[in-house]
Amino acid sequence: MNWFTICVYEWKHFAHSPFKIVALVLFIVAGVYALHNGANLYNRQMSEIESINKKAEEDYQETLVYYEKGQKGPEDRPWIDVTTPFWAVWYSPIYHFKSPSPAIVYNIGQAEQYGYYKRVTFQSSPYDTDMAEEIANPERLQSGTLDFSFVMLYLMPLLLLIWLYNIKGAEADAGFLPLIYAQTGSKTPWLLARVTFYSVLLLFVLFGLMVYGALLTNVFKGSTDAFLQIFFMASAYLFLWIFAFTFILFRGKSSIGNTLKMVGTWLLFAFIIPAAVHQWVSLQHPANLMTEFIDAQRDEREQLFKQPDSVFQARLNALFPEILNSPVAQDSTKMNLAMNRSGAALTNDLNKKSFNTIEKSNSAKNDLIRSYNWFNPVTFFQNKLNAFSGTHYHDYQKYRKEIQSMIDLQVKALVLDTWGAVKVDKEKYLNYKQNLTP
Amino acid sequence: MWQIIKNEWLYLRRTRMLVGLSIGFVMVFLFSIILGNYQNQKELKASETAKKHLREQWESIEAMNPHSAAHYGTYVFKPSNLLSSLDEGVSSVTGNMLRVEGHVQNEMVHSEASQMQAISRFGKLKSSLLLKFIVPLLLIFLAFNAVSSEKQSGRLKLLVLQGASPIRIVLAKTVAVWLYGVLLLALVVATYSLLNIQNLSGDTLFRSLMVFVSYALYYFIITGLTVFFSARWQNSTVALTSMLGIWMFWSVFLPSVLLSSVEKWHPLPSRNEFKAAMREDRSKGIDGHNPADERGKELEKEVMAEYGVDSLYKLPINYDGIRMQADEEYGNQVWDKHFGNMRTVFTQQKQSMQIAGLFNPFISLQNASMGFAATDNMHHQEFLLQVETYRREFIKILNDKHAYGGSKTGDWGWKANNEFYKSVPDFDYQPTALGAIFHHYLLDVGLLLLWFILTLSLLFYGTRKMQLV
Repeated sequence: MNWFTICVYEWKHFAHSPFKIVALVLFIVAGVYALHNGANLYNRQMSEIESINKKAEEDYQETLVYYEKGQKGPEDRPWIDVTTPFWAVWYSPIYHFKSPSPAIVYNIGQAEQYGYYKRVTFQSSPYDTDMAEEIANPERLQSGTLDFSFVMLYLMPLLLLIWLYNIKGAEADAGFLPLIYAQTGSKTPWLLARVTFYSVLLLFVLFGLMVYGALLTNVFKGSTDAFLQIFFMASAYLFLWIFAFTFILFRGKSSIGNTLKMVGTWLLFAFIIPAAVHQWVSLQHPANLMTEFIDAQRDEREQLFKQPDSVFQARLNALFPEILNSPVAQDSTKMNLAMNRSGAALTNDLNKKSFNTIEKSNSAKNDLIRSYNWFNPVTFFQNKLNAFSGTHYHDYQKYRKEIQSMIDLQVKALVLDTWGAVKVDKEKYLNYKQNLTP
Repeated sequence: MWQIIKNEWLYLRRTRMLVGLSIGFVMVFLFSIILGNYQNQKELKASETAKKHLREQWESIEAMNPHSAAHYGTYVFKPSNLLSSLDEGVSSVTGNMLRVEGHVQNEMVHSEASQMQAISRFGKLKSSLLLKFIVPLLLIFLAFNAVSSEKQSGRLKLLVLQGASPIRIVLAKTVAVWLYGVLLLALVVATYSLLNIQNLSGDTLFRSLMVFVSYALYYFIITGLTVFFSARWQNSTVALTSMLGIWMFWSVFLPSVLLSSVEKWHPLPSRNEFKAAMREDRSKGIDGHNPADERGKELEKEVMAEYGVDSLYKLPINYDGIRMQADEEYGNQVWDKHFGNMRTVFTQQKQSMQIAGLFNPFISLQNASMGFAATDNMHHQEFLLQVETYRREFIKILNDKHAYGGSKTGDWGWKANNEFYKSVPDFDYQPTALGAIFHHYLLDVGLLLLWFILTLSLLFYGTRKMQLV
């Protein structure tokens, strides 16, 4: 019997196994449902970004009218003067978005644990409360959304288990295994051909589902690399399980024994090991209560503003030596107001120092998680998928860094233009929009 | 029947693999309990240290304007409770720090999950993970051939000939395997209680008892169904694969689908919509920071009339504090409306999930486990409500000091002294007593009971006509 004949027999066996077909149908239904969950999140985030952009543009036009009409700001807020750099920068509705990758359709990853839009001002910080995740039911967040990566990482091994559990075992239970060996010559090619049949079938199913997902969010328009990378990871993950299950089938002597071992292996890798690593990491590095950040935001800030003007000025000069010879620095009557308005520069500096501690602590956690990847493949694959779909911790860390760069830009514009006694007109305001937006 | 149970236990004891598996299981359980307990203590200590640190900062305020102090604010850390080492619930995704300040009701931020890359989809190695997912599987493995193997060996017929009725045999087999699960459960609860004996309260014991009852009911459902399949089908492999299919469907597939679906049935607003709606409503009220605000003029007139003066500056009190409190009270109505709506949606989502227990007892178990361990969203919302109540009292104390502490309108340079700041009470979290919210979990326990009765009926009536060979 050659491989082709064995595969044809296997197809007949599969077609006559309602249990296996139902499992496949359920898997496809779960896959489609999961892809739609991913696509919904993508559409929701895109439409939210669009609506925020629209509102920002309206606000922007409203401020432009002040310049056109020669007004200083809203009539009921007489203290506002948009011709000063302080209020002009404040009234620049600048947002930064973490636009979702179309590949989010395959893997929501950590996308629901972080915010993806932020109004950036010179008083902002990348750890502000408005960086919190979207409003969601915590019980759902805790168990995670049924996305395609869940289907791939947890349900795919189960489907494989249901398809493979009685290979060789059923023949052994019925007592005609020697007859099979007599017909095929050796058990290895016979068993491998049967396993290969299901592997190829599953690969086709995965590919089909992924192509369907690609159509939902236009993955092939610019994210083809992500598609290929995710399909490659899915294939590698599939082969990992095929290897483990084939090994069990080779060594196994009965369907029941094989089932128990396969379920045990799945439980070990999908539940026990990741959970044990999670527990261990939490013990080594408990949740950061952000006290350094709180201190920077509150106590150190209070201390900073209690400093004598000379100390305050010296610290500001150290950050922006350009202001030493600025027009305001030569005019003592204007210095006090300029110093007050430059306070954001020093608080920004305090904040940045406190982030270093937070990021160091997070980085230590991530290093520890990575160091266990060699025996924790499910977590490894999950994080790889997160990286390919732009929903990894590092993607959000990068987003935070971009926000920080934007804050730095605003702070710089605020300080230099305030000390430079710049009068903001429509043209300058338009420049702010261009230069302070990434 | 007792004799059959004893024989089953004797058989289980003689099965080396099972003895080995049980020892391994007990070790993993003890490991998870000890680690969970240690982590809990560590978290409590960290949260107490952080709380103390912030309180010290508050008490060290030498002199500050009360409204500046309202902006300076304070922070509340969510303490972990004793039972969270049993079932962590939503703790790792809800954040652990909440800023308490004037003008705004904040939300919790900086969750543990957001501080690192992804690790485990099913949470940490807590006892609940083993009790919810692994023990039921073990029970399936123990029960799937409980009757079918007796049929295949012909012992079932022999037992019936000896006078045992088929239903008694089936029930005894079910109870024997179920007791194994209950024993593991009892071990967890007992070890846990021993480790925390000094901190046990009546409420914790009541909660532990309810956790025990919920799991025991679920184990009976799983064991009973497996034995039923084993009795109905000739082939034990079919019994095993059917039950494994049910386990996967109930524990892995359906909860994820249902949780995603209830959010679609009862949608929550996006954060942007939520904030924009609150901003819109808030803008219709008094603006505490804007003396020119038209809506504040009415209040000015009222206060001046009350004191019989014609200018705010002639008031014996500081009108700024009164305006700030009016601003706060208007804001509170806005927060109540919007956060209240959000809580209503959460309640609707929870109810839908609870009703889903009709089709899936695992959902009821999950709700009950988190609920009785005080780590579900309902308890989280209770905590947030307590913090918000505290915030309102805290800000009112500051605004009252601002208004009636001795300063005059417009005197923003006036400062309250250190004695006053020391006298402002700190947040003192009062854990919600189970008795007060038990009715919320009646549906979960009721559905587990319903499934228990259904399983029992299935065993009684479904195995009456089972084939003996």
